[in-house]
Amino acid sequence: MPLQLAWRILADQKGRSALATGGVFVAILLIFVELGFFVAVPQGGMLIYDHLRFDLLVSSSKYVFQSQSWQFPRARLEAAMTVPEVAQASPIYLGGGKWQDVSGGLKLDIAVIGLDPRAGIFAVPDIERQGALLEPSDTVLVDSTTRPLFGSLAAGRVVNIAGRRTTIGGQYKLGTGFLGLGVALASEANFFRMFPGRPPDAVNLGLVMLRPGADPDRAAQALRAVLPADTRVFTRSELVAHEVAYWTIRTATGLIFGSGLVVSFVVGIMVLFQTLATQITRQLPQFATLKAIGYSDRYLEAVVLFEALLIMAVAFLPALVAAFAIYALVRSETLLPLALSVPQLGAVFAITLVMAAASAFLSLGGLRRADPAEIF
Amino acid sequence: MTAAQAIARFAGTRFVPLALRNLLANKRRLIRSSAGIGFAVLLMLVQLGFERGFFDASLAMVRQLDGDLVIMNASKYRFGSGDPFPHFYLATATDVAGIADVSPLYASWQDFFWRDPAGDKVYVVQAFAFDPDRPVFLLPELKAQSARLKEEDGVIVDRRARPILGMASGTAEIELNGRTVHVVGSFALGPDFMSDGTVMMSQATFARLLPGNRGGAAALPVEFGIVKIRPGEDVSRVQQALVLALPADVRVLTKPQLVAFERDFQADLSSAGPIFWLGTVVGFVVGMLISYQIIYTDLSDQLPQYATLKGMGYETAYLVRVVIEQAALSALAGYVPAWLSCLVVYRMIGAVALLPLHMTLSLTLISLGLTLGMCLLSAILAIRRVIAADPAEIF
Repeated sequence: MPLQLAWRILADQKGRSALATGGVFVAILLIFVELGFFVAVPQGGMLIYDHLRFDLLVSSSKYVFQSQSWQFPRARLEAAMTVPEVAQASPIYLGGGKWQDVSGGLKLDIAVIGLDPRAGIFAVPDIERQGALLEPSDTVLVDSTTRPLFGSLAAGRVVNIAGRRTTIGGQYKLGTGFLGLGVALASEANFFRMFPGRPPDAVNLGLVMLRPGADPDRAAQALRAVLPADTRVFTRSELVAHEVAYWTIRTATGLIFGSGLVVSFVVGIMVLFQTLATQITRQLPQFATLKAIGYSDRYLEAVVLFEALLIMAVAFLPALVAAFAIYALVRSETLLPLALSVPQLGAVFAITLVMAAASAFLSLGGLRRADPAEIF
Repeated sequence: MTAAQAIARFAGTRFVPLALRNLLANKRRLIRSSAGIGFAVLLMLVQLGFERGFFDASLAMVRQLDGDLVIMNASKYRFGSGDPFPHFYLATATDVAGIADVSPLYASWQDFFWRDPAGDKVYVVQAFAFDPDRPVFLLPELKAQSARLKEEDGVIVDRRARPILGMASGTAEIELNGRTVHVVGSFALGPDFMSDGTVMMSQATFARLLPGNRGGAAALPVEFGIVKIRPGEDVSRVQQALVLALPADVRVLTKPQLVAFERDFQADLSSAGPIFWLGTVVGFVVGMLISYQIIYTDLSDQLPQYATLKGMGYETAYLVRVVIEQAALSALAGYVPAWLSCLVVYRMIGAVALLPLHMTLSLTLISLGLTLGMCLLSAILAIRRVIAADPAEIF
C-alpha cells in the first residue's frame, strides 16, 4: 500500500518529518490568520445589522453602506405597513456628534443610534434589559467597547454630546462595528433633541418584521411594488451580500488580506515541496530499487502524494488550535470579530489538501530520475 | 562541484570560496532553496509594505501641508475630524513677530456630497478650501492650477480617488452638494481609510456649497491656520510666541509634531500595525524553517566531506565559517529575486488598492536584516552536525 509506505518513510526520519510538519503548520496558521481577517473585516461592518431584528431592510435608494445610508421619508414606513405580510416597520436614525467632557477636553466623534426603545429592535440582552433607561430625557446608553479615549462610561456621568448635556444611563455590550470610535443609543425624542437641525420625518433605515411564515423574497417584491423609487428594499441575504462586497471590494482590505492569503498558500507549497524534494533525492536508491522490483511510476508517485497529505493532515489540527488562540487574542485586542464558520474551516482544509497535491506534483520530477540502472 | 572537489582544488590554490561553490554545486537545489527563502522574504516584504502603506495613506494629506507651524483647535483629536476655530484668531497670529504668512485652511469631512458622473450615487468626500493665491498644500499640480479656483464654482479633484467616485473620468461638470461645479484641474494623492476622495476649492466656493451656511467666506470658522515663518527665524521660538499670543483653546504644532500627532492617533486606534507585524513574524518563522531544512540537508549530505576536511587538519572554526557564509549566500540568493518581484507586487497592489506602497531604503534594509537573521539563525541551529563530524566515524 502506498499509504503505508509513505507513513513508514515519514516515521523513519522523525526529526525531518517533524520539521516539515512545523513548516506546514506555520503556513496553515498564516492562511487561517489571513482568511480570518479577510472575513472579519466585512463581519465588523455587519456587526450592528447582525444584532438587529428584521426580515427586510428599507433604505434610501442612495444607500452606500451602513455609515453612509442617507435618509428617506418616514411616510414610506407607513406605506410599508399596508403590505399584508408586514407585521411591523420601525425607523432607525443615525447621527454623528461630538462627545466632550463637561469640563472641556477633546471633542471626539461619536455615532448615535436613535430608536424606539419599545420596538424591540436590538437582539442584545443588555439593550432589551435597559430599554427603560432610554426614556428619561437627555439620557443615552453607550457601547461598552467605546474607546478608552472617551473616559469613563459609568452610569451617571454627564457629558456633552453634540453640544447637549447628556447623562450616561448605562452600558451595553455589542461592539461599535465600523460606526466609529464610540456608539451611543438614544430614544427617538432624545435623538432629535441632540440633532435639532434634522428633519424629524427623515429616517435612515427602516426595519421591517414580517408575519410568521411570510416568505421574505416575496414580501420584498410586494414592498418594492408599493414603495416609490426613492427607497430600496433588502432581504437579509441581499444586505449581507451588499455589505460584504462593499468592505471586500471597495475598501482595500479584501485585496490586502486576499494577497496575504495567496502568498501564504505559495509559502506552504514551498515548505512542503522543499521537504519532499529533499526526501526523494536522499532516497533515490530506494525508489530506484522499488522500480527495479517492478513497482510502477504511478505507485511511487502515490507514495509521494500520501507523504504530502500525511504531513498536511498532521499539521492541520495544531494549526487550527493555534489559529483559534490567535483569533481570541485579536478579538480582545482589536475588537475585530475574528472567527471562522464551519464551511470556512472546511475551505481551509480543502486549501491545505490542494497545497499538498501541488507540492507533491512539483516534486515528482525528482522521482523520474530514479533509474535502477544508473543508481548502482 | 562538491566540497570534495573543492578540496582537491585547494592543493593548487591559496583561497577557495568554499561556501559559494557549495551553494552553486547543485543548481536544482539552489533554485529550490532560493524559491523557498524568496517566498518567505516576499511575505515579509508585502506585510511590511502594507504596514507602511497604511500609515502613509493616513498621513499623506498632513504631509502635504505647506507650512512650518499649524494652528488648530485644542479639542481636536485627529486631523480628519471637523473642529474649527474662529477666523479672527488668524489676525492675532499674523501680528506675531517672525511670521511671514498665516493662511486659513477650511475643511469638511462630513458635509460634501459628490455625485458620481456615471451613475446617480452620491458619496461623502473630503473637502478643503483656501485662498487660491495661497494654496496651503505642497502638491505641485495644485500649486500650478490653483489660480483657476478663482472661477466661480471651480474645483480641483484627486485623480487617484476611489474609482467608484468617477473623479478621474475627466467629466468637467459635476454635482457637488446639489450644485453644478466645474472641475478645473486635478492632482494625484489617493484615498485613505476614512475618505474615498478629495475635492479642493476656493474659500468662496466652499462658503457657497457648505450646507446651512449663509454668510460669506470671511465669517467661516477655520479648521487649520497654516503658518509660514520668516527665513532665518527659529521655529520653536515663533511657536512659543504664537502660543502666548493666541487664546488657550487653540494649540500650535510644528508640522512634524502634527504628523506625529496623527500617527499616534492612527497607531493607538487602528489594529493595522499589529496585524501586519504578525504577518511579518510568520514570514520570518517560515523562512527560518525553510532555510534550516536546506542547510541541515546540505550538511547531512556533505558530512563525509566536512569530516575529511577536519581529518586534514582544518579547524572547526573554519568549517563553521563556511556554513555561516553559505547560509548568508543562500539568504541573498533568495532575497534578490524576492526584492525584485516585490517591486512588481507593490506596483500592482498599490494601483488596485490605491495604497501608497513604495520600496524604500529602510524597507530594503529591514527586510534584508530579517532575511540574513533567519538564515544565520537556522545555520547556527544546524551547525552542531559539523562540529560533531568525527573523521574516524564517518568512513
